[in-house]
Amino acid sequence: MKSLFTAVALSVMLPVVAFAADTAQVGKPAPAFTLKDEAGKEHSLSKYKGKIVVLEWTNPGCPFVQRHYTANTMQKTFGGFDSSKVVWLAVDSTASNTPDKSAAWKKEKGFSFPVLQDPSGKVGKEYGAKTTPHMYVIDDKGVVRYAGAIDDDARGNKTADTTNYVKTAVDALLSGKDVPTATSEPYGCSVKYKS
Amino acid sequence: MTRPRARRTSGGGLFFLAGLGLWLAAGGAGAAPPPASAVASGALDEGKSRVEATLLTDVTQVKPGDSFRVGVLFKMHPGWHIYWKNPGESGLASEISWDTPGSTVGELQWPMPSTLRTSDGFITTYGYEGEVLLSAQAHASEKAEGSLQLSAAADVLVCEVNCLPAQLVLLRQLPVGPETHRDAEHAPAFDAALARVPVAPERANYTVALALDQPSLTTGRAFTGTVTLAGTSGVPPPTVDKDFFVPERVPGIKHLALTAVDGQPGTFKLEGKASPDVPASEPRFTGVLRLGTAASGYHALRLDLPLAPVVKGSAEKGVAPAAAPKAVSAGVPGAAPVAAPAEASGLSLGLVLVFAFLGGLLLNLMPCVFPVLALKAYGFTRTVGDERGRVGAHALAYTGGIIGSLLALALAVLALRAAGHGVGWGFQFQEPLFVAGVAAVLVAFSLNLFGVFNVGTDGTALVEKVDASHGLGRSVGEGVLAVVLATPCSAPMLGTAVGFALTSGPATVILTFVLMGLGLALPFCLLVLVPGLARRLPRPGAWMERFKQLLGFALLGTTVWLVWVMGGLTGVDGMARTLAFLAVVALGAWLYGLVQGTSGTRKLMGVAAAVGLVALGGAWSLRFDEVAPQAARVTGVQAWSEEAVATALAAGQPVFIDFTADWCLTCKFNERTVLQDEDVRAAFAQHQVAFLVADWTRRDARISAKLAEFGRAGVPMYLLVSPSAPDKPEVLNELLTEDTLIDAVRRASGRVADARPY
Repeated sequence: MKSLFTAVALSVMLPVVAFAADTAQVGKPAPAFTLKDEAGKEHSLSKYKGKIVVLEWTNPGCPFVQRHYTANTMQKTFGGFDSSKVVWLAVDSTASNTPDKSAAWKKEKGFSFPVLQDPSGKVGKEYGAKTTPHMYVIDDKGVVRYAGAIDDDARGNKTADTTNYVKTAVDALLSGKDVPTATSEPYGCSVKYKS
Repeated sequence: MTRPRARRTSGGGLFFLAGLGLWLAAGGAGAAPPPASAVASGALDEGKSRVEATLLTDVTQVKPGDSFRVGVLFKMHPGWHIYWKNPGESGLASEISWDTPGSTVGELQWPMPSTLRTSDGFITTYGYEGEVLLSAQAHASEKAEGSLQLSAAADVLVCEVNCLPAQLVLLRQLPVGPETHRDAEHAPAFDAALARVPVAPERANYTVALALDQPSLTTGRAFTGTVTLAGTSGVPPPTVDKDFFVPERVPGIKHLALTAVDGQPGTFKLEGKASPDVPASEPRFTGVLRLGTAASGYHALRLDLPLAPVVKGSAEKGVAPAAAPKAVSAGVPGAAPVAAPAEASGLSLGLVLVFAFLGGLLLNLMPCVFPVLALKAYGFTRTVGDERGRVGAHALAYTGGIIGSLLALALAVLALRAAGHGVGWGFQFQEPLFVAGVAAVLVAFSLNLFGVFNVGTDGTALVEKVDASHGLGRSVGEGVLAVVLATPCSAPMLGTAVGFALTSGPATVILTFVLMGLGLALPFCLLVLVPGLARRLPRPGAWMERFKQLLGFALLGTTVWLVWVMGGLTGVDGMARTLAFLAVVALGAWLYGLVQGTSGTRKLMGVAAAVGLVALGGAWSLRFDEVAPQAARVTGVQAWSEEAVATALAAGQPVFIDFTADWCLTCKFNERTVLQDEDVRAAFAQHQVAFLVADWTRRDARISAKLAEFGRAGVPMYLLVSPSAPDKPEVLNELLTEDTLIDAVRRASGRVADARPY
């Protein structure tokens, strides 16, 4: 029996199961998810372990999201990162959204990151996403390091000295420093969850 | 904040003239409609504007040096709203910028807002529907002459389901004259709006005190406290309605909430959470309290109290333990009959280790581990004739197997935790593949005991076979098996110990698991190390082969249980698939037994065939679909949810919550004995106890979180919540007895008599 038994017993014991945490909280592990993007490709958070993941709750119908995409805030922020180290995933939890709408919007605004489809709102609610845009930065170990607004310019009328919280957080993580602002109050439209 | 006001549209002047014409037509002073320039609409949606704003004053003429009031009246389209200064979880605060040469405008006065929720209740915001007048005190300069120019730029977000931002620029003139004339039409609107603006408690003859349960706030942690409102000079204690509290935005503080404490008017429970980056300066607690009811009328108080100094949480770096801090906020009474959660009761590491050791010891008696112990004792009778050294080696091997596998489990737990997953005791049994794997090992093991095959020897003599099958490796294996089977049995005391360990540092986790292993290994080691005990065991003989086979059936019995667990996880199909896989494993074992006496190519092919068969069979059969949770298995119970608890408590019912799982034998034992007991059922019925079941058979983050709140990492856990003390649930012993349960139910239903002072 001996070695065979030991090997079998240990090998059935180790491939243990992955667990989701309750909600996304800074300093805590990010809830696991698998969602399809607008092109039908699956994205699992676990697949991106080792990279920094930025989640952006989005809804093209929201004036705040429109403003940022027209001003290229999201596109520029993402473009400023090393794409081998940072993954950007937009998530649309709008109940009425369809992959076609996401694809058309992606084409219109000319950005490259995927738009994950969450029409049931399950992932959005697990993360506690309340507004669009609502941003989360997850470090390479899967721990939430930032949650809140994209920047400190809720009304879009600042001409200078805007702080882009996501960029600040990702830059800090990349250089191994503490995230200076780990939370902020997100602003924008409410997420239009299925109800 | 001033803004350039050069935003009048080209038609504005014309409208202004038209407005002036109307004003003249109405006879000058008195009830005059505001000029057109003082009215603007915005947020165009489907051809309709969703908000209309009017700039108003409470006077028609002002004397230089006098005060007056100025404000913007917002009228929202039905169903649409704008936001308060703290919009809540989404939205944007409404904002008004003034440009008023010749006069100064004070701070904006915000009437108490409404609490608005999305239909699923997930998002809460604060704002105004219908209409609202946001006003401010203004003061005309001593040197004012002619007329004052008043200009306001309102920046509002107007939402129904969709949101539309609107920028509205409003303008009007206020004549300056020898006397100030009150505007008879609009002044009452200002008075009414001001009556809805919260006032300092002293002005309403109240004193307010805040007592926090913690001496300081810890970054990233929840905190609780009590707000007490007392009336002075004969003011009666306040009553409150639904949505009576609206928090202001306090930097670094989240989820501020007040709940009324039943039966204690003026006492409110405060809950909140400090952000990981809360400013180090002492934050204040600010918010608005609406007293009264719809019937009695409302008045609102503005709270502004110092909260507490902030300390940096030690667990901020790396992965913070998910559970322990919440145990404090849960307010678990120190008077809980058994061990309260580690942190809440100030459980020391030493005590936890003692619990771990005793828990491990008790695991030997659990129905899941007992067959292995029997097996071990049987093996021991075979070797007892050998010299002491060899017996000691077996004891060491067995202990090593136990501790080794517990360490592997501890490392797996730590690795999962570092990788960002929450895990609990017995969590592997939530995974169908793991259950199938353990069942397969048990079947293979029992077939080995039946003699279908032998491992590790090609000898043919019976004695040799028995000897060989009791090598040191087997002792190690038995240790491993004991651990694998022990995990679903969260024995008494282990709940606390493991719960504590799983939320502590790596060293504590490992130490706890090792101590538990030593406890688990102790009975057999005692057998070896105490000579008197050993001599009492029966002598070896032919009976041993039959006993060995009998134990094989005991293992098959355990397999039956695992197949049943699988049924709960994956339904009838999953059970059939598991059984098919077990049949294939048995066939593989039989094939292996056929060829093991041979050698060379034949043996190789036989082994390859056996392995291939099991692998193919596994790949074909081990595909499981999760099934919906089955209906409650104790009659008259319902599934647990926070809402169900709240509903029952609101109805004055005590609530019993059974945290259970199919694979938890202690839970099943309690369910089949105590919870089905007639006296217990009668007591439950008599006191109208709401029986809720939280089934953790499958992964459920909500249940994991709830367990963690009480410092537990696994089931069973039994909570009894009294409607008279809803925030102080009683945690019952893991091993229920009829008497303690009935007593606890009586206590919980004893309403005021037993309610602890808050």
